[in-house]
Amino acid sequence: MSDLFVALSGPNLFACFLGTVLGTIVGVLPGLGPAGAMALVLPLTIKLGPTAGLIMLAGIYYGAMYGGSTTSILVNVPGEAASVVTTIDGYRMARRGRAGAALAIAAIASFVAGTFSVVALQLSAPLVARAALAFGPAEYFAFALLGVVVLANLTGGSRAKSLAMVVLGVMLSTVGMDPLGGTVRFTLDVGGAEAGFSFIAVTAGLFGVAEVLTTMASPESVVAAARVKFRELYPSRTELRRALPAMLRGTVLGFVVGLVPGPAATLASFVSYGVERKVSRYRHELGTGAIEGVAGPEAANNAAAGGGMIPLLSLGLPFTPSTAVLLSGMLLMSVTPGPFLLRDHPQVFWGVIGSFYVGNVMLLLLNLPLVGVFARVATIPPRYLMPGVLVLCVVAAYSDNNNVFDVWVLVAAGIVGYFMRALDYSPAPLVLGLVLGPLLERSLLQALTIGRGNVRELWASAPAAVMLAAAVLVLFFPVVRRAVRPFRAA
Amino acid sequence: MRRDRWTALGLAAFAVAYLAADRRYPLDTLATPGPGLFPLIAGLALLALAVWELATAGARRARKSTGLVPEPPSGEARQAASGRVQAPASPRGPLLMAAVLVVYVAVLPVVGFIVASLALVFVSARLMGLAGWWAPAVLALGITVASRVIFVSWLGVPLP
Repeated sequence: MSDLFVALSGPNLFACFLGTVLGTIVGVLPGLGPAGAMALVLPLTIKLGPTAGLIMLAGIYYGAMYGGSTTSILVNVPGEAASVVTTIDGYRMARRGRAGAALAIAAIASFVAGTFSVVALQLSAPLVARAALAFGPAEYFAFALLGVVVLANLTGGSRAKSLAMVVLGVMLSTVGMDPLGGTVRFTLDVGGAEAGFSFIAVTAGLFGVAEVLTTMASPESVVAAARVKFRELYPSRTELRRALPAMLRGTVLGFVVGLVPGPAATLASFVSYGVERKVSRYRHELGTGAIEGVAGPEAANNAAAGGGMIPLLSLGLPFTPSTAVLLSGMLLMSVTPGPFLLRDHPQVFWGVIGSFYVGNVMLLLLNLPLVGVFARVATIPPRYLMPGVLVLCVVAAYSDNNNVFDVWVLVAAGIVGYFMRALDYSPAPLVLGLVLGPLLERSLLQALTIGRGNVRELWASAPAAVMLAAAVLVLFFPVVRRAVRPFRAA
Repeated sequence: MRRDRWTALGLAAFAVAYLAADRRYPLDTLATPGPGLFPLIAGLALLALAVWELATAGARRARKSTGLVPEPPSGEARQAASGRVQAPASPRGPLLMAAVLVVYVAVLPVVGFIVASLALVFVSARLMGLAGWWAPAVLALGITVASRVIFVSWLGVPLP
């Protein structure tokens, strides 16, 4: 626990500051998103060392949740998906001249939820890690499978399309060295492909290069952001009183949703808004500029970001693109997340958790006075920003393995990502399939070997059986429901 | 929905090609699984999903989304959210940019990071509508030199 104070050392504080500022900017800018930005700065974080590097990556992750609300409220443009719902009431508040109050409540809600989720993370992550020590290959396989199935159900768009993208990601993960036997597969004798597809190159391509190409397809006009003076940043006593219950509901709800595989932060904000529409005393005002519509979703998406760290830190399983980049960063820094992280790297574990506390305070201090500056960042035309994003993508992809093959992968992923967006295929399931593929393969083959070829070994233990049953249920429930519906109606 | 059908056909073709390539790797037995087993399962899963998508693409007009969460706010979603009027999406710009990127990677090992990136930033800024010659040139110089200093000189990242 004393390692918690590692976060207060000079270099770690600086890394946390840099991460939260970058995260806020990324949250403010529509398009790139935290996962893409984290992939772009990986070369930099690796040089900082494991603790400071991961603190910076984590700062970008939760900083983006803060920043996303700024442009949602001021210019009606959500910086990232988790802030879409904030536009509904936040922008209407801004048009009524209450932009400052909405921004302050968003920052306070984010702070309260972020701090709560860190306390919960601090208490529960070691417990989950201890329980996970009993996990064998069959349990890991079942949990990872359940994760990708749930993810495919929760990602927007067609379920079949999301599942297809997960499987495509898994297939791409089989290129290169087989995780158990060392056989080189599917390389087509291309030099540099033996190491497999670089996760960084694929992520930077799907999120970064594809965003540049999409921006080129429809060049946007620059929008003017409303100016907010510092003295306007005080919510009234009534606004604070009304925001508090929504904030608390959003916090608890967000943390629980954060544990669910999938786009937890986005999902949490929508669920929170739905809950407010049902239980809030002022539900009739929602949609017309109610403070509850800002406080609830903003608390929920920040709490979910903390909740999503539990499966990563305790089990080594990332279920969002951002935590997948964090996992990738950890592995590049020779830190293996999972049940043994606390034992092998206590400084990293507690340092990252400690930085969450520091980061939340920094974000509150940054977001309140500098809100006008961040809002103006959103109005920088893409023609100045996007060429820089391209160069950062190239640096990130090349520096992963120091070969040009990865830059080819980056460009190919960018072009594929552009067409995926045009055809309504989400890149997030593909990225997670790519990350979870080797784990799925290794755990499946190990479980089969342990069971001497007996497939029943996969569901021999109770936890594995429950998780596999849940995966099957989630997979086929919508199909069965659709098939049964006509009979029930008759 | 014709677009969805063509995409599903493309995925099915990819799955078939992948499964054909997988025949080079032994499956062995379930007790000692070979390197071909897992790709076989993954390839068959994609083929099944592509066939499912092919069969259901036409029947999905009414229920556009089965997910609980909307797509990330890019493209049309973002336009709708912002209420801003934008120029209609044209594939010309992205295709040109993709071609520029392909040329960039091809010449990167030959001319090196500095020269290739100067040209990339200059051309991409021009393609994105940055008018004149001076502004794109200054931007190209600024971005390339800054990345060279930060990543190579300060952080020791080796670039070609």
